[in-house]
Order: sequence, then structure tokens, then C-alpha cells
Amino acid sequence: MRRSLSVLALSAALAVLAGCSDDGGQVRSEGGGSGSGSTGSGSGLSASDLGTQSSNQDVTAATNQYRTYVQGEVTALRAAAKKFTDAVRAGNVAEAKKQYAPSRVSWERIEPIAGLVEEIDVAVDARVDDFAGVDDPKWTGWHKLEYLLWKKNTTAGGAALATKLDTDLATLDTRLKTVDITPKAVALGAGALIEEVSEGKITGEEDRYSRTDLWDFAANVEGSKAAYTVFKPILAAKNPTLTTALDSGFTAVEGSLKPYQVAGGGYQSYTALKPADKTRMQAQLAALSEELAKVPAALGVA
Amino acid sequence: MSSSAGRRGSLSRRAFLGTAAVGAVAVGGAAAGGIAVATSGGGGAAPAAPGRGFRGEHQLGVLEQPAPHGLLAAFTCVDPDRETLARTFRELSDELEGLLSGRPAAALDPALPPADNGVLDEVTDPGLMATLSVGASLFDDRYGLAARKPRELVTMPFLANDRLDPRRSHGDLLLVLQGKEPDVCLHALRRVMRRTRANLVLHWLQDAFTRPDAKPRVGQTQSRNLLGFKDGTANPDAGDAELMRRLVWTAGGGEPAWTAGGTYQAVRVVRMLVERWDRAGLTEQEALIGRHKGSGAPLSGTAESEAPRYDDDPDGERTPLDAHIRLANPRDASTRGTELLRRGFSYSRGIDGAGLLDQGLAFISYQSRLAHFLAATDRLRGEPLEEYLLPEGGGFFFVLPGVTRDGDHLGRSLLTGMP
Repeated sequence: MRRSLSVLALSAALAVLAGCSDDGGQVRSEGGGSGSGSTGSGSGLSASDLGTQSSNQDVTAATNQYRTYVQGEVTALRAAAKKFTDAVRAGNVAEAKKQYAPSRVSWERIEPIAGLVEEIDVAVDARVDDFAGVDDPKWTGWHKLEYLLWKKNTTAGGAALATKLDTDLATLDTRLKTVDITPKAVALGAGALIEEVSEGKITGEEDRYSRTDLWDFAANVEGSKAAYTVFKPILAAKNPTLTTALDSGFTAVEGSLKPYQVAGGGYQSYTALKPADKTRMQAQLAALSEELAKVPAALGVA
Repeated sequence: MSSSAGRRGSLSRRAFLGTAAVGAVAVGGAAAGGIAVATSGGGGAAPAAPGRGFRGEHQLGVLEQPAPHGLLAAFTCVDPDRETLARTFRELSDELEGLLSGRPAAALDPALPPADNGVLDEVTDPGLMATLSVGASLFDDRYGLAARKPRELVTMPFLANDRLDPRRSHGDLLLVLQGKEPDVCLHALRRVMRRTRANLVLHWLQDAFTRPDAKPRVGQTQSRNLLGFKDGTANPDAGDAELMRRLVWTAGGGEPAWTAGGTYQAVRVVRMLVERWDRAGLTEQEALIGRHKGSGAPLSGTAESEAPRYDDDPDGERTPLDAHIRLANPRDASTRGTELLRRGFSYSRGIDGAGLLDQGLAFISYQSRLAHFLAATDRLRGEPLEEYLLPEGGGFFFVLPGVTRDGDHLGRSLLTGMP
């Protein structure tokens, strides 16, 4: 959702002004390894080595660890997207449909951070609602291709869009290397990802043509958990009640998603989502959001 | 719509709420509240106990004169078991008690989201009322409560010319909020929802409004529905405690013991085809309703306060046999003692797909037996007025008994002492 992301971008920018920029030189691009799978358990992060430092240093170190995670996800994102765009360029509708949802997983995991580069967010992930209609030439990115593949059952007209998607993601990669990722942006991002699920994924409006919403749903949750995980040792020391609530909150949401996983990776169609499960997920997500809203204050970065 | 006695009761109770919210000197406020509650027959409310605006043998919002604004919120319970459900009722009850008794919200670290949404800051007399009820679905196999179900509580079937939309019908819980302004209801709703995020999911929501009588008198009202007719003229006297015991409050009669002090609640969200109605002749409108539109008098008389007479009009020459009020209450021995206490609101929801106004009546009635409501509906089946009405939502619920003492909470009697 672009609106909520721009709010986040603003608050992140304010945090930058406040001066949390000493992590710029600590970018590590060798990280990752968690990003290529689509059904992984989540963050792939271990934050156990953070306990001995003072609180501020801990928060900075955790944020750097998260930056590494983002870099890994961006690398995985470009590779997964290329499989999708190659299929589009080759005119292979079936293969393109198969690669569509996996190509989005890493994007959805890091969306609030990727959204800091706002023009890329609009170029790659906007839905038709933001434009005059499906024929608006300004509409580009995944969802335009999704529309062509599922509604028109074609790759015709898709090659240029596919190449633009690759280019935009390359730009994202470059820009993210210099964007300040502040502790506040990470802490807010964990909450923003779950708000994304509550507002756009649970309703089935994100992937309305392909019905692959549950892939994005799961990736948002994984990304939120990754952000939480880097801060968890610090939070556990300061407010164990909060970490207990967050752990059980994530466990509840993951438990509700699990029956919808399919063998070989990925998730069932949104149309398979049972109304009673959807209702329960709504409550679980809302409860998790209430707890995540306390994280910035608990970390002292609000 | 309601008697002077009923008004005195409700006014004193609500006036006290105002006092409490203003934050008058605690001791003085408590004393005044105690007296007010005792006068209103609030039933066992401890004078000096906290939460006086909340407590009483019956919940607030049934007998009282309606507030100008209402909000009907139906919820689905997602708790996995009865123990969690019981905790949800405790939380919900505590939140309502805090809201109704004017308990100040906690002041938190400003880095945290504030405890209260702030919508009513500086409002000293919100006039909030809240009425919590349970639907038949709460007694399904999820919580093992089947044996506790009020005897007559069922999921509302399609009645008359219904076109019930499942997205606007039924629910495990219904919370009817009332207040002096719309934001009073919205403030309370957001507080309640925040407290119960993990447990309750909103199923449907209906805004509502009415124009309550400034000086209520039995047999008369100035409140009109969106058909332009007076609505509530024939309501029984809510200030007559003995009458209310028979007509409204459930006790005995083979009902589960926990239900004592509660009441059956029928909610019908009835769309009115107002454009078409406005094209019907006045004589036709009056014949369909059975009353004069201007005065509210029955067609058999000249004053609103006159009871309709049908015994000398067996062929329906004055009041058609299928006029709404004649079918609803034929005023003969067959229906005596089955009158409903009606507490309806109007609503407006914008326009429909055809460009027609989507407005109507959020009918709410309270009765000691649901059978009384069903019989009235049965008599109305096929009435000519149906041409202008389309029931689209609502449901049957049972209003929980009130809370009278420390350690008690809404739903406690329903959920405790189970095997």
C-alpha cells in the first residue's frame, strides 16, 4: 500500500535527520541465503550474539544485521524476478504464470524498506486502482504483467514490461545500498508488513488475477518476523511480556497459514481460503499488530 | 414512547453518568449516584461501588428512552475454547464498565500508542449506553454451551418477504451502543474492539439514529420513522416495572437459570423503498399503516393517545383488516400480554446500484419470549405494506443480565459453573 509506505518513508527520513547514519559503511552484500526459498521458516537470522553490548549499540548492531538480510533478499529478488521476466520474454505463458508468485516473495519480505525508494515501489508493485484503467501506459510492474497473463492469457506486450521490471529492481538494488535503514524504520516496518496483510492480502485484492495472495501474505509475515527477530534479544531483556506476546502472535498466524502450504513450495489459491479461517486470521493479525505497535517504544527508537 | 416513570429512571441514571464523567468530587458524586440508582430501581446496585453507570439488574439501553444515535455492531467470536471465551467476556465487560462509569484512560509513555483514541476528549456528558447480547451461533459446538442456550433462541429465519444478506445478518455477539452524538458510539466501539482484537471480529455494523421524545408520554410520541409516520405510539409503558417484568424480562418459564434479568432481542434491518413510498397517495399510506399520518391517531379515532378500536369495525371499513397496526396488534384477547417493547432506529446507507436511496428502519424489539415477536411477524406476513419494505439484515439475540456486584461481569452467569 503506497500510502502507508510513504508515511513510513517520512518517519524514516525524520529518523535520518535525527542522525542514525553511521551504519552506511557497514553494508555487507555477501549476506542472504534466506531469500531464495519461498516457503522457508522466515528470517533465517540469528540474533543470539547481541546480548553483551549496551542497548544503543545493540540496536545499531541489530539494524546492521537486518540490513544484511535486506541485501540478501534483494539479491534473491533479482534472480527470482529474472526467471519470471525471462519466461515473459520467451513468450512462455505457462512458465511465466509459474514464476510470478515466487518472483515476488523477497519483495514482499522487505517491502517497507524497499518502499523507502518510493518511485520503484510505484513502478514495480502498483495495482490498477492507482491508475485510470488497465490500459493506462503509466501502469507497469508485476501486477500489469499479472493482468496480461491471467486476464488476457498472453505475454504479448509483456516483454518491455518485463525488462523494465528487471531494470527497476536493479535500480532498487543500487539505491538500497546507500539508503539509510534506521532502527526506527525497521521497527515500524515489522508492524507495517502485518498492516499490509490486514489491509490488502487478507482481502484478496493484491493478486486479484492470479489469486496468489497467500504467497504474498506469507512473505509479509516472514519479513515482519525477520525484523522482529533481530531486535528480539534486546526486547526480551527490556520487556519479556512483549516478546512472549509477539512470539505467540507470530506462531498463531503461521499456524493458520500452514494448512494452505502446498508440497514443493508456495501456497494454495486465495479462493481456497475458508471463510472461518479468514475470520480467525483477521483477529490474529489484528492482535499481532497491537503488539508490534509497542516495539518502537520498547526499543527506545519511537 | 415511554412513561414518565421510565423517563425518571433513565434520566437519573444517565444524569449520574454525566456527573461521574465531569469528575465531580468523588465522595459527593458517589453519594448522588447511589441515590439516583436507588430511585431508579436499578436493582441491587451498591451505592458507593465503582462503575455505577454500568451496574444494574438489567443492562442499560433497553428500558431507557433511546439516545439520538445508535450503532449496532455484530461480532464473530474466534476464541478457540470456552476458557478463552470467558476471558474475552471479562475483558469486554470491564471495558464497557470503564466506558460507562467514566473511568479515565491510563496515561502511557507518549512513545506508545495512547490508551484512548481521544475522540471524546473534552466531552463531559456523552450519554453512552451499551447493550450486549448473544446470538444462537454462540451455542453451537465450539464452546459446549448448547445446554445453556435460551430456550427460544434460534438463528433468525427468513420471515415475511425477507432477503437477508448473510454479510449483514446474525452474529455470535451484538453490541448496541447509543449516545448523544455519533462519535460517542464510535469512540466506545473502537475502545471495545481494541481490547478484544484477538478474540472478536466485526461481522456487521449498522449506524442508526432517532429523534427521541423530549417529554415522553405513554401512548404518544413525536418520533417518526422514514416513512414519515409516528413510530412507538403503542409502546407499552417502560416505567411500569411490573408490566416490564411480564413483557420484557425473562425469568423462569423453563429458561436456563442464568437468563434471569435478560431479554430476547429481535433486530430487523428493514430497507424502506422511500422514493416509491413518497409517490403513494396519502389516503393509501394511511390505509397501509392504519393511522393518520399527521396526528398519529388511529383511523378509528381522532387523537394519537386513543387506543385503536376494531370491535365495531369487523369488515375493515374504517381500518382495513390488513392495515399494519391492525395485523401487528389486533387488540383482542389473543394478543394481550404479548406486546413488544420497540426501540427502533432509522438508518441511511447511501445509494444502491439502481441509484435509489438505501434507507430504512433498524427495528429492535425486546420481549420476554421470542414467540411473541414471531407471532406478530406471522400476523404481518403478506401485509400490503410489504411492497415498500425489504428486510435485509439483523438477527435474534439474547440480552445478557446486568451486573450488580463486584466480581461479576457480563456473561459470567452464562459461562461459569459448567462441567
